[in-house]
Amino acid sequence: MNTVIQVLILGILLGGVYALMSSGLTILFGVMRVVNIAHAAVIILAAYFTFFIWQWTGLDPLLISLIAIPTFFLFGATLYVTLFPRLEGSPRFAEMTVLLTFGLAFVLEGLMAYFFTGIFRQTQPAYLTEAFRFGPFYVPAAQLYALLASLVLLIALWAFLNFTHTGYGIRATMQNRTAAQIVGVDVRRASLISFGVGIGLAGAAGALFSFVFPFFPARHWQWIAILLSLIVAGGLGSLKGAVIASVVLAIVSAYVSQYLGPVWAPMVFYAALFLILIVRPQGLYGKVRRI
Amino acid sequence: MTDGLKDLRSETDAEVVDTVAVEEALRRRRRVRNVGGLVILLAVLLLPLFRSIGAYNYVLQVGVSVFMWIALSSSWNILGGYTGYISLGHNVFYGVGAYFSALLLIHFGISPFLSAALAGVVALCLGLIAGLVTFRTHGPSFIISTIALLFIVLLWFDSWALTGGANGLSLPVPPFPREWFRMPFYYAMLGCAVFALFLGHRVQHSKFGLALRAIGADQVKAEVAGINTRLFKMLAFALSAFIPGVVGAIFAYSISYVRPTVFFLIAVGAQMVLMAIIGGRGTVAGPAIGAAFVILLNEMSLTYLGATELNLVFSGALLIVVLLFFPGGIVGSLRERGKLPAILDWD
Repeated sequence: MNTVIQVLILGILLGGVYALMSSGLTILFGVMRVVNIAHAAVIILAAYFTFFIWQWTGLDPLLISLIAIPTFFLFGATLYVTLFPRLEGSPRFAEMTVLLTFGLAFVLEGLMAYFFTGIFRQTQPAYLTEAFRFGPFYVPAAQLYALLASLVLLIALWAFLNFTHTGYGIRATMQNRTAAQIVGVDVRRASLISFGVGIGLAGAAGALFSFVFPFFPARHWQWIAILLSLIVAGGLGSLKGAVIASVVLAIVSAYVSQYLGPVWAPMVFYAALFLILIVRPQGLYGKVRRI
Repeated sequence: MTDGLKDLRSETDAEVVDTVAVEEALRRRRRVRNVGGLVILLAVLLLPLFRSIGAYNYVLQVGVSVFMWIALSSSWNILGGYTGYISLGHNVFYGVGAYFSALLLIHFGISPFLSAALAGVVALCLGLIAGLVTFRTHGPSFIISTIALLFIVLLWFDSWALTGGANGLSLPVPPFPREWFRMPFYYAMLGCAVFALFLGHRVQHSKFGLALRAIGADQVKAEVAGINTRLFKMLAFALSAFIPGVVGAIFAYSISYVRPTVFFLIAVGAQMVLMAIIGGRGTVAGPAIGAAFVILLNEMSLTYLGATELNLVFSGALLIVVLLFFPGGIVGSLRERGKLPAILDWD
């Protein structure tokens, strides 16, 4: 029984980080119908960013995440301006963005492999090996901090979307792009900002990722497969769906990892995607789109 | 060579539609294409007989590679090019075919040259099953489910005892004389490539192909027009899974081993997509031209640059540039400008 609860704790801790990683991806799809295959590559890039700053200055990765957010916001805005305006209005926009970001993922992976080599990296703040004990259970400090940071960021995101003028515009664009334009939302500005926010979230997630998971450039494929499965299972474009799917599936995969072996943990996400597609093709919280 | 085309354009520019001249021009164009195609085919067929050319084995090896990728990207094109349903995990079928024939060879001694067709059928059945689930969605969700399928198969083969897990399996070396070792593979792959192109041509000029293009243009309207979209998509998926199975079986035999990292990496599927898009998806010649172009580029960059990481950057950047500036690929863009040479017009 103790093991069952212990695994649950570990699953919840990881679920928070998964939720942060998939939230950026969801925003990008929800607002702009961009499926960012390069999202995990950006997260790994942010992890390297954090790793090198940590190595040079010894700053805490949690603090570095505060530098990573604006840096990657600018990176995202630049990407948006250079890549996406040319695609707008193309008949199969979402599919085109998949292919485009697929290419981008290869470019980022190749550049990282060339400059940073394929060696496993991980930032090692002092609390990496610490843990809090609660009776028979222990909570690894690093993962707890990562969960708390994820929660803070997700709440900040929620507040930004719900209580700011820009946030209204972004949510309106998410609900109906054309209608938002009609009522006077500057859709292009909303897109630019939300692309920045989406990539900025990837930056923050990368900073946390850097000490929770060891990484090397080619690792991003496995992660993007997991993250994409999460957001499709949750319902493409639904933030709530993505967060719930992240937490639930992270817990399930923690159990699978404990009882069947860690090799099978990623299988949970892919299998869940297929099961959900069979039962509910639009995903947990997805809207049925009238084509 | 393009005289016929120039006639044709100047006629239409003047808005004088002289059907006789147009038909004459088209006929001349077709004749140029057929003669040119025959010359190329003859050269390709006879190439392995000239053992005296320098780097004979290397040339044949590149030939095998080019034909294999022509077959693979052409078969991807049947689904991805015509219907617009983009499969990023199409190498699943390639790998499953390879493993199937490898197991038959190891356990029953059946040559992959004989079992390749059966491997194709296995891949086809897998395509039907995959289609049952993945076609419940469309657009980005479909693409994502093909990636998930690839990762499921990768994980499974990575830890399945029957297939040797992550280490894979070694195959018995083919019993061919050393000096002619590559030749059977050369002709087998050439056969696959020609078959794939033939199939592509048939699809292009059939009601089946018309239905697929209708689905690609607007699925709802296609459905309203009475096309059983689900059935046609399933058929397209199955058909485009068949050839990768065959090709995988032969390729595994030629390298004498199977391993998950050779067949189930996402980069392998990406290569098919890259080639078809660079060449021009939804055309017969596009994937073939894209395959030849990318393979030759890869060979050159390996020779002169060496680093495989930069190769990755290059491929990705190429994909981005083509998508942004030449969405029709080589064939589509040239045709749009009316500059497609007859020799590349296989439609």
